[in-house]
Amino acid sequence: MPSLKDLKIRIDSVKSTRKITKAMQMVAAAKLRKAQESAERGRPYAEKMRAIVSNLASGVKNVSGENMFLGDGRDSEKFLLIVATAERGLCGGFNSSIVKLAKSRIVELTSQNKEIKILTIGKKGREQLNREFESLFVGHVDLSNEKTITIETARKISTDLISRFEKGEYQVAEIFYNKFASVISQIPSSYKLLPVSFNEEDAKADNISFNFEPDEDEILTEIIPKSIATSIYSVLQENAASEQGSRMAAMDNATRNAGEMIDKLTIDFNRSRQAAITNELIEIISGAEAL
Amino acid sequence: MIDKFELSVISAESKVFEGEVESVLVPGMIGDFLVLSNHAPCISSVRPGFLEFSEGSSGKQRYFVSGGIIEVNNNTVSLLVDSAIMGDKVVKEDISTLISEIDEKLAIPNSTNKDDLGLRKNDLEEALKQV
Repeated sequence: MPSLKDLKIRIDSVKSTRKITKAMQMVAAAKLRKAQESAERGRPYAEKMRAIVSNLASGVKNVSGENMFLGDGRDSEKFLLIVATAERGLCGGFNSSIVKLAKSRIVELTSQNKEIKILTIGKKGREQLNREFESLFVGHVDLSNEKTITIETARKISTDLISRFEKGEYQVAEIFYNKFASVISQIPSSYKLLPVSFNEEDAKADNISFNFEPDEDEILTEIIPKSIATSIYSVLQENAASEQGSRMAAMDNATRNAGEMIDKLTIDFNRSRQAAITNELIEIISGAEAL
Repeated sequence: MIDKFELSVISAESKVFEGEVESVLVPGMIGDFLVLSNHAPCISSVRPGFLEFSEGSSGKQRYFVSGGIIEVNNNTVSLLVDSAIMGDKVVKEDISTLISEIDEKLAIPNSTNKDDLGLRKNDLEEALKQV
């Protein structure tokens, strides 16, 4: 049985932990709102970009055959997996769920004898993959100095990806991240960045013959890096929102658990104090009776 | 009365402008062109330069855009830009920064698209004169 003093110390320590988790929860909530707003603002651009690329891609297919950036990547041998995680921990299963998905994809591709390379974004994913797959790493993007995701960051990543693609380092690029479904639910997902596949239904639905200036192929070469940067940007933004949502939920749980623990410890504390008082009373009474 | 049409200028991080306009002058990749209502559907890339549109009575508005892509379709014009700055807020420094960024890229030996960068630099220097 711990002494009264020990219990008191433990209650105080849990109380201060609760204060910290509560504060982190509120910070995450504020950051989540910001991240969501910024994701919202980026959406019209991303949607329009996708529509234009679809239109262009279907045009190119009709005119000049194949562009190197287009295709479904079905018979490819070299894969680049981009694992986008957070720079910080304490956000529940956020990082490990992405890593888990990436790992299962690695296992799947290895069993098909494909060549795999890994590029990590965010420290946490790298740490977790480091143990098993260090030899597959080809690069890392550090986001720890960026308070919010900017399109510039996404552009840099996209330029890097494209130059690697042109050098033939890989044929298919897939990015792993957490899709933001709601504040309490984030779904680990993967998205194929390269080669660009387009939805033929989308393009056909409009069925308008556009005038292209300069020709489709040239615009496409110009727009694909932009479209990839945009995809990366929206993926990173969703990831940022998911991270904050996940952290908020985790910290909410932690705060609640701390509360329960304090209740339990307080009961223990009261009980042992009562026991001590009763003990003393018994001693006094039996002392008095003995006289 | 000139017919109006929808124009939206969108950058990756926010909507820059959205509204009804009478005409848009676009710095196209192979030359400036003017869009009026009922323009034929077209997609074109945009070089760095000044975008001008008139909302009718309220007069002309000018934006500096640093390249992008434009889609004209069914009286809706969407312009996706890398970045856009309001005409009267453009200062020479903004454009000079862009030029020096390109210079940095050009300085890297064996970078692949030197011709494109060179052209872009010319466009920017042209824009710099117009400020």
